[in-house]
Amino acid sequence: MADDFLKQLETQRSYLLRVARLQLRDQALAEDVVQDTLVAALGAQAGFTGKSSVKTWLTGILKHKIVDAIRRKQREPVAASTLDDEADLEDFEGLFSARGSWQESPADWGDPEQALNRRQFFDMMDFCLEKLPPNTARVFMMREVMELDSDEICKELAITANNLWVILYRARMSLRECLELNWFAGGGRA
Amino acid sequence: MNPFHHLVGHFISCRDVSHLVSQMQDRDLSAFERLRLGWHLGVCKACMAFEKQMRFMREAMRRYRE
Repeated sequence: MADDFLKQLETQRSYLLRVARLQLRDQALAEDVVQDTLVAALGAQAGFTGKSSVKTWLTGILKHKIVDAIRRKQREPVAASTLDDEADLEDFEGLFSARGSWQESPADWGDPEQALNRRQFFDMMDFCLEKLPPNTARVFMMREVMELDSDEICKELAITANNLWVILYRARMSLRECLELNWFAGGGRA
Repeated sequence: MNPFHHLVGHFISCRDVSHLVSQMQDRDLSAFERLRLGWHLGVCKACMAFEKQMRFMREAMRRYRE
């Protein structure tokens, strides 16, 4: 019984590691955090009611471990300045004319289900997420995978709401560009 | 291009719309923002496509974590 549960947990290790690595950008720290998560999960087996999937439950535990790790890291004085660097919007100005209209219309990505049902699509997502600047990826993952709300993220990272929205905008614009180039315009969809 | 495009663009540009569409996923827009956004999206195909892409990406991230 306990063995089965352990096996179930182990199958999620690579997913958890991917999420942790994207947020922490530190392989060793990511491995530590995932190990902590799995150990905590094993100890809290009784808390798993089976109402949500094992993956969702583990992601919930991982979320706390990552926030703790970020908090510890935050005491090292680097994050704020790099976050400011990554809040620069210039990269995307070229998409718009001087009047602020699209230079080139965003493409029609067609039926979402078609892409979302393919494993390769998520490999491409991983590739595109890896390409984001480190702090941008961290903030985006906090928002979209850990599902923290804006206030929580601002508090954890000691940034303003405006700063947060710019970083999330950058993350989405970069991902959009990467997916459009590598999946929707390329061979991925065919 | 839609003949009303420049008229609407006068009130809110596609660039500003792209920011609102992103922020819509992180905060509640004000009534005024929603009005301006809705009006622009109603006549701008490019921004409609962008808004659809952003919704797609949110759904993709939801599947990613499940």
